[in-house]
Amino acid sequence: MNIFESAVEKPISTLMIFLAVVVIGVFSYIQLPVDQYPKMDPPYITVMTTYPGANATDIEQNITKILENQLNSVDDLKEMTSVSYDNLSVVTLEFEWGINLDNASNDVRDAVDKSMSSLPDDIDRPTIMRMSTSMMPILVYAVTADQSFGGLYKILDDKVIMRLNRVDGVAAAYVAGLPERVVYVDLDPNKLDAYGLSIESIGNKVLAENMDVSAGTVKVGIDEYTLRVEGEFDESEQIKNISIPLAGGKTVKLSDIANVRDTLKDITLEQKVQRGKGGILLVTKQSDANAVAVATEAKEMLELAKSEMPADIEFTMINDSSDFITKAIRNLESTLMYALISVVVVVFIFLGRWRSTFIIAMTIPISLIVAFIYLLVTDGSLNTITLMSLSIAIGMVVDDAIVVLENITKHVERGSRPKEAAKYGTNEVWTSVIVTTLVTIAVFFPLTLIPGIMGIFFKPLGWIICISVTTSTLTAISFTPMLSSKFLTMRNAAEEEKQGFSFYAWSNRTFGKLDAWYENLIRWVLGRKKIVIASMTLLFIASLLLMRFVSTEFFPQNDQNALSVYAKMQQGQRVEVTREIALKVDSMIREVVGEDLKTLTVSYGSEETASFASMMSTTGSNVMNMRMRAVDVKDRKNGESIFQIGDKIRAILKEVPEVLEYTVSFGNSGTTGNSVDIEIIGHDFETTTNFALEVARDMKQVPGAEDIQISRGDDKTELQIYLDSEKLARHGLTTSGVGATLRNKIYGYRQSKFKEEGEEYDIIVRLDEQFRSSITDVENFIITDGYGQNVRAKELGDIREGFSPPSIQRKSKQRYLTVSVTPADGYALGDMAEAAKEVLSQKELPQGVTTYVGGAYEDQQDSFKALLLLMALALLLVYIVMAAEFESFISPFIIMLAIPFAFTGVILALLLTGSTLSVVAALGAVMLIGIVTKNGIVLIDYINLMRERGYELTEAIALSCRSRLRPVLMTSFTTILGMLPMAIDHSEGAETWRPMGISVIGGMVFSTIITMIIVPAAYAASNKRGNRKKDVEEKKSYHFMDDFDAERDLPACQKN
Amino acid sequence: MKAVFITYNQALTDRVNFIFEQLRIKGFTQFPLTYGRGTNGGEPRMGSHAWPEMNTSILTMVEDEMVPLILKYVEKLDNVNKENGIRAFVWNIEQMY
Repeated sequence: MNIFESAVEKPISTLMIFLAVVVIGVFSYIQLPVDQYPKMDPPYITVMTTYPGANATDIEQNITKILENQLNSVDDLKEMTSVSYDNLSVVTLEFEWGINLDNASNDVRDAVDKSMSSLPDDIDRPTIMRMSTSMMPILVYAVTADQSFGGLYKILDDKVIMRLNRVDGVAAAYVAGLPERVVYVDLDPNKLDAYGLSIESIGNKVLAENMDVSAGTVKVGIDEYTLRVEGEFDESEQIKNISIPLAGGKTVKLSDIANVRDTLKDITLEQKVQRGKGGILLVTKQSDANAVAVATEAKEMLELAKSEMPADIEFTMINDSSDFITKAIRNLESTLMYALISVVVVVFIFLGRWRSTFIIAMTIPISLIVAFIYLLVTDGSLNTITLMSLSIAIGMVVDDAIVVLENITKHVERGSRPKEAAKYGTNEVWTSVIVTTLVTIAVFFPLTLIPGIMGIFFKPLGWIICISVTTSTLTAISFTPMLSSKFLTMRNAAEEEKQGFSFYAWSNRTFGKLDAWYENLIRWVLGRKKIVIASMTLLFIASLLLMRFVSTEFFPQNDQNALSVYAKMQQGQRVEVTREIALKVDSMIREVVGEDLKTLTVSYGSEETASFASMMSTTGSNVMNMRMRAVDVKDRKNGESIFQIGDKIRAILKEVPEVLEYTVSFGNSGTTGNSVDIEIIGHDFETTTNFALEVARDMKQVPGAEDIQISRGDDKTELQIYLDSEKLARHGLTTSGVGATLRNKIYGYRQSKFKEEGEEYDIIVRLDEQFRSSITDVENFIITDGYGQNVRAKELGDIREGFSPPSIQRKSKQRYLTVSVTPADGYALGDMAEAAKEVLSQKELPQGVTTYVGGAYEDQQDSFKALLLLMALALLLVYIVMAAEFESFISPFIIMLAIPFAFTGVILALLLTGSTLSVVAALGAVMLIGIVTKNGIVLIDYINLMRERGYELTEAIALSCRSRLRPVLMTSFTTILGMLPMAIDHSEGAETWRPMGISVIGGMVFSTIITMIIVPAAYAASNKRGNRKKDVEEKKSYHFMDDFDAERDLPACQKN
Repeated sequence: MKAVFITYNQALTDRVNFIFEQLRIKGFTQFPLTYGRGTNGGEPRMGSHAWPEMNTSILTMVEDEMVPLILKYVEKLDNVNKENGIRAFVWNIEQMY
């Protein structure tokens, strides 16, 4: 018994099987985590090595090069870049996406071990770090306070961080940009001089006093006591009262020679949140945790914590990536809903009966729900990619059911009992249903084979569509016949009409007229097939010429309501000046952006020690960073996109003369995924830097070129002391001794810690700031020499102003630097890359310098190449399936004639809507291969059938076209309307997928119209002599009836 | 009206169809797979392991004048290769609807 016969005979079993599938699917849906993108580990491994005291060039020669040589042989390495800073070498290895990073990091560790013997002895062991998406914060809050500002760090640490760390799935919660408490001992060098004291002696005295010493046990009678010397400071006031011994048995109180302050650390990095004083609270999640769930729970925790904190502490949300995810997912869910509704409406209009519509609509949830089971089994998540795939699938999963139901309905209308009609109706069409599904799979299956980052995005898409479509076919040949046998009723249009208005009768009549009109059109076309084919070909060629006007882009950028600004000013500028300019820019931005602005955080200066905040963005006393958050797109007063706002901010920055270089980047991560990087490769610093400056200057003239940035930093200004070894020797001093003394005076003597309530704070003993803020001060520093005499620093050598070499970037073992350019809103990445190439071609390359245009542009090119390959593969597979189905080499070609016109449609749609050709739009074009050939298959299949039945060629074509018009229109409309919500959606996250909707709809509309004309014409042209020639040939080989002559031998009754 | 029953090795199907086409006989009923054994020699056609081949049978009702033509060409076809085997049997039609 066939699957459909069993299904019809055992309706309850069938129902239960599908019910079971639905139940498991719903269960999976509930279990699935929600995220923005599929899980992906960025394939980067970083090797960091510190070598104290070496400058960038030394680091490059002695560490970076050696490591690079060893690391170069690691498997699957895609690209190796390195930066050599002063004291630090960072080698970054980029691997192919999707490789096993555990293996890769083991390989890296081995390579590092091998190179250890060649590395200098006094380096710290290289650290191997793996990038992870979990490093990106999911929640960022600005915390501001007035009176409590001083204790803010402590309060947050106690009340908030502790709670947040307890939330399931939170990887870390921490505060950045808040000053810590510190105890300063600011010394007056003149008083030190007068008392004959040195910083070191005072520093050591503070360290020696601030101690608890255990002195063993004392036995007294039957008891035993431990003896302790208690010296640790309980409060910072005690430091003031330390007595310092002087020569001759006298003492002086520390407070007499120094200013002791228990306060907050002097600012070097300052945050202004909404112009108030404050810091940033960041929360990161574990890489496999559910972003939305973690964020929700963390927010609840924070609410709880708020009630325990002083009222003046305020939390402002700067960034909530879960918010964007939730909104994007919700939008997609509604897109899915609209798609479902429009598909059902189309089916109802065409079929005109609610029972039929219901039977077809039932296949949608079943086919889609199976995708959830797949996702749960493969450890996937409910993300924008998977939901979008479902949305794409919706229009396709009804096709098979429509074909089956149509045939069953035909039998029912002929008077069969629904049960028999269901069995025989399905039997007649089930093979062709499977073939059309195979064609779809031929297009979508290759998607699952794409390597690299594109694969991470498109693999789920490919699998989900393959699975949904396969399920829909199984449903169509089992569940649909079963439902038909139970629900379809025997009524015909004429009877219904008698009982009053019948939608069925009305739609049947309307479509009947359309069928007749189309049949006439086809007869007209068949009379002029050469002209028709020629003009269509011309149309296609014309559209290819239009292709020049479509600009290209990598990925459409999302409006995530957030942007960040980076601006660099004169090297060596004081933090205070930077602050002034930052506040000026702050108010200018507020003025321009107005009500659309939600929060604006400004930070400037640099933190002394490398902190997390400085890892995320470049800091420096001349650098300011801003993070702006705008209100949601739909609430903005002019409906401006974040990109337009960004362009306005760029205009502001252009007007501020102090700002030398700026970038405005969008989104939460702060990484720009949309830049053209002009790489300038060459060994000599000066030549390459100058060339880069020239290129940057020329690029500034290109319209739409924004955020022009040169990756090599300016030389750092330094005060360098060159000691005279002759003089040092005479004074019994060494360079390291002098260095240490100067360090203690300026950086401070920081051995001792002040402890309070389990926390430790630095006690910094150093000169008061007023005595160390000019070159003269430094020159006049007093240094005690080996014979106990005081000498001034200037007597030991020269102090010069100089520049230290910049950091050295290398790529594939060669020095290089990049000039990166971001296209402004409305300018395409591809055009910008062309402009960059143009600029480069006009320049004469200096000796030993080569250039390369890369960046996101390169990724775009790679992706387009991959898509072209994919397209070729899809075309080939579709051809194979069809050639097998039709047992013909030519028929598939006729059907595939529709494909070029789908591309014409894509080009026209992109031009009309002003969209760019991004990877997503191109993917839409690839998908069209599968979708548009379906129409042709339906048509050709039927024409072949009619020919087989002996109809004359033109007649066969005209009749088939008339008969197949409705199924073709119905499947096309369901696909088009399934995509429509995607194409017109303008809410959060919709930008990514809109081009796909547009290109599929454009291609579909155009190719459907063309298919219906050119395929019959081409069929007629290629079958002039008819398809039955082969049969005739075969019959000629029969000779046993050679003596038969119909005219002569047949009796009269048989001759007519 | 006569009924003509023709039974033959299924390998002859195309040729028998050819006869029908040439003689412009429209109506027929065909039994695609039938078992059978000849009275006077010939291999049995049982679709079994021992006798794997199968017959096809066709039944057609024709005017009396057609019978000699059919029998003539059936015989001719049989003579092409006796091993295939084809036989035709004719009887009267008593009534019809």
